[in-house]
Amino acid sequence: MELTESGIDLERRRFIAFALTPSLIVLFAVAVLPAIYLVVTSLTPFQLTTPGSAADFSEPFRNYSLLPGDPRFVNSLAVQAKLSVASVLFQVLLGMLLALLLNVPSRFVELARTFFLIPMVLPPIVVAVIWKLIYAPDISPVYYAAQALHFTLPALTSSVDFALASIIIADTWEWTPFTFLMVLAALQTIPDEYSEAALVDGAGKLQIFWYVTLPFITPILVISGMFRLIDSVKAFPLIFLLTGGGPGTVTEVTNYYAYLLAFDTNEIGYSSAVTVVMLLLVCGISLGLVWMGRRKEALA
Amino acid sequence: MSTSSLRKATSGRLIAITITLLILLSPFLWLLQMSFKTNDQILQFPPPLIFTPTLQNYVALWHSAFSASFVNSLLSASLSTALALLFGVPAAYALSRWSGRAKHALSFAILVTRMAPPIAFTIPFFLFYRWIGLLDTITGLVLVYTSFNLPLVIWMMQPFFDTIPVSLEEAALVDGARTRTVFTRIVLPMVTPGIAATAILCFLYAWNDFFFALILTRTHARTAPVAVVNFMNYEGWEWGKIAAGGSLVMAPVLIFSLAVRRYLVSGLTAGAVKG
Repeated sequence: MELTESGIDLERRRFIAFALTPSLIVLFAVAVLPAIYLVVTSLTPFQLTTPGSAADFSEPFRNYSLLPGDPRFVNSLAVQAKLSVASVLFQVLLGMLLALLLNVPSRFVELARTFFLIPMVLPPIVVAVIWKLIYAPDISPVYYAAQALHFTLPALTSSVDFALASIIIADTWEWTPFTFLMVLAALQTIPDEYSEAALVDGAGKLQIFWYVTLPFITPILVISGMFRLIDSVKAFPLIFLLTGGGPGTVTEVTNYYAYLLAFDTNEIGYSSAVTVVMLLLVCGISLGLVWMGRRKEALA
Repeated sequence: MSTSSLRKATSGRLIAITITLLILLSPFLWLLQMSFKTNDQILQFPPPLIFTPTLQNYVALWHSAFSASFVNSLLSASLSTALALLFGVPAAYALSRWSGRAKHALSFAILVTRMAPPIAFTIPFFLFYRWIGLLDTITGLVLVYTSFNLPLVIWMMQPFFDTIPVSLEEAALVDGARTRTVFTRIVLPMVTPGIAATAILCFLYAWNDFFFALILTRTHARTAPVAVVNFMNYEGWEWGKIAAGGSLVMAPVLIFSLAVRRYLVSGLTAGAVKG
């Protein structure tokens, strides 16, 4: 069969269309349709138990006007902020320290790096199970140790003072490998000559870190921190399994509140409004991230 | 001197690294050792560090409903991986060879599906599934996982296609081969390592899911991660079985992660770098 130049072109274009169309349809159906549906539902007082409520647009902004006066919603934002800020700070700091420690050329260390990633690749629910075992007083090594030292630990996950901290500890354990991985990649791009030159000039280790290494990795510290910030909004399995949002609403983040509203109390419409607000917040952070990425490229 | 004196693998540093690793992994190792203990041993004080490991927890799991949910997890993860590859690999190839407006739509979709909290999708999916009767079915789970893995496939596969020189395909085209033939006979065989790595990552994402399975399944299509949690709620506090269940759920993840550790980084940060 003889194909002319334009024949090849046409045939090729057909193939491309054929290869792309199914994926684009699926992506549209997955990314765009649910978003539209969510926004529409957030304008209704939809409850699964109330027939007709799904298409009741008589008071479209009622859900949104209720939000500022809902103490649980306001509290959930505060809890989210506390959880996110604390865990992101710890993850960036510990991830950086780990990366500095492991930034050495050695076969053994290269192998060890893989094992440092284990907490991050584990199924999130298994991470939650692991910490459930650590926090369960009658079987936990932490409580055994406290008992051996004649010291009484409160039940961490059900204590008003420590429940949020226990979630932060578990979340930090799970995600420090992520910041570690990002910072290590950045560290490996720093030419050794820089620190050597500083060394020749008589700089101490701390000075080299402060004036040579830190400026180099600051952008990646910020970017990985932002990524963790966005992802921290999704924290679910840990809260679901360890505290269930409690005691009271001490660990009830916005995501968890939206879940309870929709699937525990059937307030689908109101839950959608909470979710829309949460989505907007995430979008805001993401846009900030994209903006920072552009600036970083412009600076480089 | 090729490496700076600041970056030397001194024995002091190696010891520090080993100790840090042990501390970091201790919660994980605690779960693992617990899965090989009897319930009496688990509750013993002080905890015996040397004990005769028993497989009774695993055997008990095997004869319980857990094995069915393990099969559900395997089924939904592998089917969705296969489907995502079937759609995503040709799309990635097309995108790599042709730049158009679809590229922007795509990076937007990747960003949305990666960044948005799952609850934003679960409410619409739940209502839609409830309406067409897909709640608590493997098909329903496969659909969700496929659609969330598709952007990942496209994201992961595009660089692999980018590395193949176009001249190779042009030569075949001039010889009269069709684009489809060039794709299946010449291009695909060259990216098999990439496909393998992508497949494993997709499998892991679907396997690790908890939230969708929690909401979209009840009993029939329940997956292993949800089943583990159910031990806590319905079967009392059988720590040994809980630990064994957790260990079983993480086993494939650990094996596969080691297999693709080179690609793990780009897969875990998908949507992070570009987009």
